[in-house]
Amino acid sequence: MNNTRKNKIKDQAFKALGMLFTLFGVSILVVLIYNILRIGFTRINWDFLNSLPSRNPEDAGIYTAIIGTVDLMLLTVIFAIPIGVGAGIYLEEYSKKSKLSSLLEINISNLAGVPSIIYGLLGLGIFVRYFNFGGSILAGSLTLSLLILPIIIVATREAIKAVSPSLKEASFALGASKWQTISNVVLPSSLGGIITGIILSLSRAIGETAPLIVVGAMAYVPFVPHSLFDAFSVLPMQIFNWTTRPQQGFAVAASAAIIILLLITFIMNGIAVYFRNRWQKKLK
Amino acid sequence: MGKEKNENVIESSLKRKYKLQAKDVNVFYGDFQAIKEISMDIKSNSVTAFIGPSGCGKSTFLRLFNRMNDYVDDFRMEGKIFIDGQNINKKKVNVELLRKQVGMVFQKPNPFPKSIFENVAYGLKIQGLKDKTFLEERVESSLKQVALWDEVKDNLNKSALTLSGGQQQRLCIARTLAVEPSVILMDEPTSALDPLSTAKIEELLHELKKKYTIVIVTHNMQQAGRISDYTAFFYLGEIIEFDKTNKIFTNPEKKQTENYITGRFG
Amino acid sequence: MTNLDQYRESLKQSGLEMFQLCEKQMLKSKEAFLTHDSDLAEEVIHTENRVNALDLKIDRDCERFIALHTPVAGDLRFVLALRKINFDLERVGDHAFGVAKYIIEIDTPIDSKLLENLRFVEMYESALSMLDDIKEAYINDDTKKARKVYKKDKVLNKININAFKVISEEVKKEPNLIDQYLLLFSIIKKIERIGDLITNIAEEIIFYREAEILKHQKKKKVRKPGK
Repeated sequence: MNNTRKNKIKDQAFKALGMLFTLFGVSILVVLIYNILRIGFTRINWDFLNSLPSRNPEDAGIYTAIIGTVDLMLLTVIFAIPIGVGAGIYLEEYSKKSKLSSLLEINISNLAGVPSIIYGLLGLGIFVRYFNFGGSILAGSLTLSLLILPIIIVATREAIKAVSPSLKEASFALGASKWQTISNVVLPSSLGGIITGIILSLSRAIGETAPLIVVGAMAYVPFVPHSLFDAFSVLPMQIFNWTTRPQQGFAVAASAAIIILLLITFIMNGIAVYFRNRWQKKLK
Repeated sequence: MGKEKNENVIESSLKRKYKLQAKDVNVFYGDFQAIKEISMDIKSNSVTAFIGPSGCGKSTFLRLFNRMNDYVDDFRMEGKIFIDGQNINKKKVNVELLRKQVGMVFQKPNPFPKSIFENVAYGLKIQGLKDKTFLEERVESSLKQVALWDEVKDNLNKSALTLSGGQQQRLCIARTLAVEPSVILMDEPTSALDPLSTAKIEELLHELKKKYTIVIVTHNMQQAGRISDYTAFFYLGEIIEFDKTNKIFTNPEKKQTENYITGRFG
Repeated sequence: MTNLDQYRESLKQSGLEMFQLCEKQMLKSKEAFLTHDSDLAEEVIHTENRVNALDLKIDRDCERFIALHTPVAGDLRFVLALRKINFDLERVGDHAFGVAKYIIEIDTPIDSKLLENLRFVEMYESALSMLDDIKEAYINDDTKKARKVYKKDKVLNKININAFKVISEEVKKEPNLIDQYLLLFSIIKKIERIGDLITNIAEEIIFYREAEILKHQKKKKVRKPGK
C-alpha cells in the first residue's frame, strides 16, 4: 500500500491507542473513587470531622489530623514560598552565568527527585535534634519546606525564563532598574507559572507521610496541638494508622478520611487553578 | 601647548554641534570583533539611517548609544560615545538616567501585558511620578503624537495586547515619547508591520524629527531613502560610507555602497 | 545577471536601436538630397512612424523601470539620461524627416558649386560622424569619446554662421532662386540643430557616468577621470 494510506493507518492507530490508555487511567481512577465513596461516604458527618481519634472505631474522628494538615500546610507555605521564589528570582536574574551556576542549576533539579524519606532524615537531624524543636509542627513544616523548595525554585526559574526577553528589554530601555523590571514586568508575567509550581509542590506535600513519620508525627494524637512545638498528626498519617488496624470500623473510617483528604486536595488545586487562569487572562 | 588648546576648542565646539558622537569605537564579543574603528557625528533634529547586510554591526552600534549592550555577556568596548558632549561610559554616569534621555523602539512591537494607559505611563511611574493628572496629561499627549489617541481614548484600560501590530508599535513609540527623551533609537521598527502601518509610522517620523534626533536601523532601502537625512552604510563592522541620503542614493562614492543599494549584493 | 540588469540591458539595447534608426534616417536624407532621389526621400518619410513608435516604447519602458524597480544611483542616472537621449534622438530623426520633406518639395537639384561654397557636404558628414561618435560613446559608456563631439560641433556652428553670409550674397545675385535658397538655409539650420542635440546627448552620457551636470555651463570643461 502506498505511503499516504500507511500514514493514515498510523494516524488512526495512534489515536486509538491514546484513547485506550486514557480510558485505562481514567477508569482506574473512577473505580478507586467509587470504592472509597461506597465504603466511607456514610461515615462522614459532623462528629467525624470534629472528634479526636480514639481506640474505638465508632468514636474516632479526624479533627486532630485535619488541624494538623492545615497548620502544617500553612507553615510550609510561609517558609517555602518566600525562600523558594526568592531563590528562583536570584538564580535566574541576578547570578552570573558560569560553570558554578550551571552546576547549581543541575543540582537543584536533582534535589527535586530525592526520595522524601531522606528529607525526613535531614529534618530529624537538623530540626528535631540539633535545634531541639522535637517532633513538633515546626520541625515537620520546616522539613516539608525543604522537600518542596527545589520544586518551587525550578518552577520559578522556568516561569521567569518563559517571560519574553523583549519585554525586559523594553523595560530597561525606558530606564527601569533591574529590580523595577523584575517586579513590574517579570514577576507579573511569570506569576502563573510560579503559582502552578506552588500548587504542584503543595499537592505533593499534603500527601507526604514518610518524612513526617521520621520527624516524629504521631499516629495517635488524642489532643489538639496548640503551639508550634506541640506534637501533631496529619491526615495521611491517620489514614495509614487506621488501615493497619484490624477492626472493620477503622477501614470505614479510613475511607472516609481519604474522601476528606481528596476533597481538600481537589479544593486546593481548584482554587489555585482558578487564580492561575485569572492571571493568564490578564496577560492575554 | 597652544595647539592643544586649539584642538580642545575645536573638539568642544564640535561636541556642541553634534547630538551624538562616536570616536574610534571598537566592539568585541569575546574574541569576535563586531565594530571596527568607527567614528561618527550625528546632528540634532535629523534622521540618520543605518543600512547594510545582516550581522554587520548596525544594531550593535545603535545600542551603544543607550548602553543596551551592557546586558550581553562578554561585551567589551573601546573608544568613546558622546551625547551632548558627555561621555556616556564614564563610571559616574547613571545608566537609568541616560535611558530616559535616549529612548528605543524595537523591531517586534513589545507592549507590556498591561493596559494601554499603564504601558504609556510605565516610564513615568518608574521614576516615581504618581500625580494622576500629570500622568493622564502625558499619556494623552504621547498618544496624540503618535496619532493613536483618537483610536484608543475610550479604551485606555483595555489590554495593550488587543491592539493590532501597527497600533502596538505606535503604542511602543508613545511609551518612549512619554519620558520626553531627546534621542530616539529605532531598530527596524517597521519590519514586522504591514505597508499601511509602515506608512503611518514613516509619516510619524517626519513629524517627530522636528523635536527629536532619530537614528533608525533599516533593511528597507526605500524606507531609508524616504525618511532619512543622512545614511550610513555598514559592512562587516565598518562604515563604508556616511553621507547625506540624497548623495548616497544618487551618486555614492564607493562602489560597494552602489552595489548594495542597487541590490546587487547583500 | 539579475532581473534588474536584464531590464537595464534591454533598455540600453532599445536606446541603441534608436541611435541606429536615426542614423539611417540621416544617411538616407543626405543621400536623397545629394542625388535628388525622391523615392529615397519617401522611404525616410515612411520610416518616421517607426521612429515615433520606438520613441514611445522607450519612454514607456523607462517609466516602468522606475515604477517597478525604484532604481537608485547609477541605475537611476542611467534611466534619467536615457529618457533625455531618447527625446533628443527623436528630434534628430525629426530633422532628417524634415530634410526629406524638403526634397519632395524642391523640383530642381541645387547648384553643386553653391553647395561647395556652403561646405554643405562637409557639414552633413561632420554631423554624421558626430552621431557615430556619440553612438560609440553610448554603447561603451565612454565619456572621453563623448567629449570629442564638442570640438566637431564648433565646426558645424562655424559653417552655419558662414552659410548665412554666403546665402544672403547669393540671393542678391539671383533673387528668383530665393525659394531654393531659403529651403537650403533651413536645411543647414536643421543640421546645426542636430549638432546641438548631439552635444546634449554627450552631456547626458557624462552625467550618467560621472554624475556631473554639464548643461548650462561653458563647454570648456576640465577632464575628470571616469569611474
